[in-house]
Amino acid sequence: MNDLQIAIEARGLIKQYKNAEGPALDSFTLKVAQGEFFGLLGPNGAGKTTALSILCGLFSPDAGNVFILGMDPKQQAAKIKQILSMVPQEIALYSSLTLRENLNFFGKMYGLQAGRLRERVSRCLEIAGLTDFSDRFVSSCSGGMRRRLNLVAALLNEPKVLFLDEPTAGIDAQSRRLIHEQLRQINQQGTTILYTTHYLEEAGELCRRIGIIDNGRLVREGRPDDLLSISNCGTLDELLFHFTGTQLRDA
Amino acid sequence: MLKIITIGCNELALLGRDKAGLLVLFLMPAILVVIITLVQTNVMERTGLAKTRVLFLDLDGQAVGSALYKFLNTENLRLVGGKKKEKTACDLEKAVRNGKYQVGIVVPKGSTERLRRNIEHLFAEHDRKNEKKPLKEVRLHVFFDPGIMPGLRAGITARLQMTVQTISLAEKFSVLERMLKKASAELNLPTEGSPFSTVGLRELLVRPVFSLNDNAATVSSDSGGYDPVQQNVIAWALFGIFFTAIPIAGTMIKERVSSISDRLATLPVTPLQLFAGKIAAYVGVCLCQFLLIALLGVYLFPYLGLPSFTISKHPAGIFLIMLLSGFSACCYGLFLGTACKSFEQASTIGATTVVAAAAIGGVMVPVYAMPDIMQRASIISPMNWGLSAGQDLLMRGSSFSAITPDLCRLALFCLLMLVFSRLQQNR
Repeated sequence: MNDLQIAIEARGLIKQYKNAEGPALDSFTLKVAQGEFFGLLGPNGAGKTTALSILCGLFSPDAGNVFILGMDPKQQAAKIKQILSMVPQEIALYSSLTLRENLNFFGKMYGLQAGRLRERVSRCLEIAGLTDFSDRFVSSCSGGMRRRLNLVAALLNEPKVLFLDEPTAGIDAQSRRLIHEQLRQINQQGTTILYTTHYLEEAGELCRRIGIIDNGRLVREGRPDDLLSISNCGTLDELLFHFTGTQLRDA
Repeated sequence: MLKIITIGCNELALLGRDKAGLLVLFLMPAILVVIITLVQTNVMERTGLAKTRVLFLDLDGQAVGSALYKFLNTENLRLVGGKKKEKTACDLEKAVRNGKYQVGIVVPKGSTERLRRNIEHLFAEHDRKNEKKPLKEVRLHVFFDPGIMPGLRAGITARLQMTVQTISLAEKFSVLERMLKKASAELNLPTEGSPFSTVGLRELLVRPVFSLNDNAATVSSDSGGYDPVQQNVIAWALFGIFFTAIPIAGTMIKERVSSISDRLATLPVTPLQLFAGKIAAYVGVCLCQFLLIALLGVYLFPYLGLPSFTISKHPAGIFLIMLLSGFSACCYGLFLGTACKSFEQASTIGATTVVAAAAIGGVMVPVYAMPDIMQRASIISPMNWGLSAGQDLLMRGSSFSAITPDLCRLALFCLLMLVFSRLQQNR
């Protein structure tokens, strides 16, 4: 993987929160190639969300560097924001606005203008299977509908790099299946995806490569099958226990 | 600019669907301004700041009754004639005790005749042997509303005493003048050069030689003086305006809790654009609040027996005060939104600080009526700066330059709140 092919790069990231015992990230290093579907797995408190937040520019690390498609967020934040998108773990939508109003608002924030905005909003509603519900308020939608809208709101700008923080948490199998299909399609169209989840089977099914993070460090990375065979584990659950232990982390 | 407008429109759409928020922002100050103005007008009457209504029952119908009416019916007292409903002293006492009037005065029948007889008696030579025999005094009946302020009661009593002294003195001088003229005629003294040759002695002696220079006279002629309508429309509009801090903080916290702020942070929009959009929307809301309350003052108040609100002399100045107050409130809301961890925290702290700032700033009770320490503390309240500037223009008749320091304070407050908000956001 040469530098030109790297979409997401983290070099020695260190992040220490105030009043926390240990660092949230401790020399975290990661490289994700362009067009790759990468899964970041780990127990609660391992540092997944912190890593994702730093990578997509929500806050700065105490030390280390991030590069997105070779660009430094400290110097080219505006350019990076045009090509990057993030799907937060929570439903990051205005509950008192309709589905269409939400997409219109976020689309305008991406700088999409009239015709293009209409086109992208319609397309995203279609991707999420929500075209018939576009005038419904988010507050009156089911959990699955909200999750799907939460995802497509990040696709309005047709991002080259997409970060997803547990995008399928708490939804039914049908919605999960639709989201998986859409993510595969987006990835096939060339979008690099970095994805965190607690559903290990889902990660195994979707991701070309996975990384296991624990105590703020990337302890192992590789193709799911390779990792399973190297560590003599039958499932990804066993693999995770193998590298991170079975002890409760948030007890 | 387009993004700022979009953010502003989004804020208005969110506010438009928040019924409770709209009620707090528009209905609450509208109700408060009507109730407080009505209440304060009554308090002013009771403290003598407005004309005190005096029920005057003249059963005498002669010189004493008309002289009392003439002397008492001044700019501070409004004498209302009885004899329609209140025909007797008992009726009058009842009306006053019920709080219908603050003061009631009864001039008993035959008061003029008795006064004259008493004075004649004082001067009559042939009654000198009966000098120690007590006179049957003219007795006026005065009734006060039990709820009247002691200061106002003392003031009215003093004025009444001064009036009866003046009337009796004038009567004494009349008798004295007659006696002197009679004595002069009997002694064949020349009348030329005597003090009462051209002007009557009575008139000469009661002519005023002192005057009081009331401080209120120094206020310029185009000001209306203290007026609860002018005071309260400005005061409660400011109160409503500063309450916008709570919904702004609320939307910011909701955005943070639901990770909308995280999503926005990854979009090509700067934090300052986000702030500007919110401020633009809510400053518009603040100006609408003022417009609503001003319209109530102009059109509703006259129906409630209150004077009409007017800003015709300084519309630009008042607009600027409201605009800067709106900016201050919005920036304070941004600060609350970034500093508070939950909506409950923001609404509690926001409501408490806004009510405290209103109380300190003279919105609820005029600053001059507060204890000394509170008067000094009022300078820290942004609402006091806005209110003081409004009073300067509408009640003190000051020029635009007089309100510049208050406007600068409001602008500085905005700036500080913006800086603190950004610092909080970066933490």
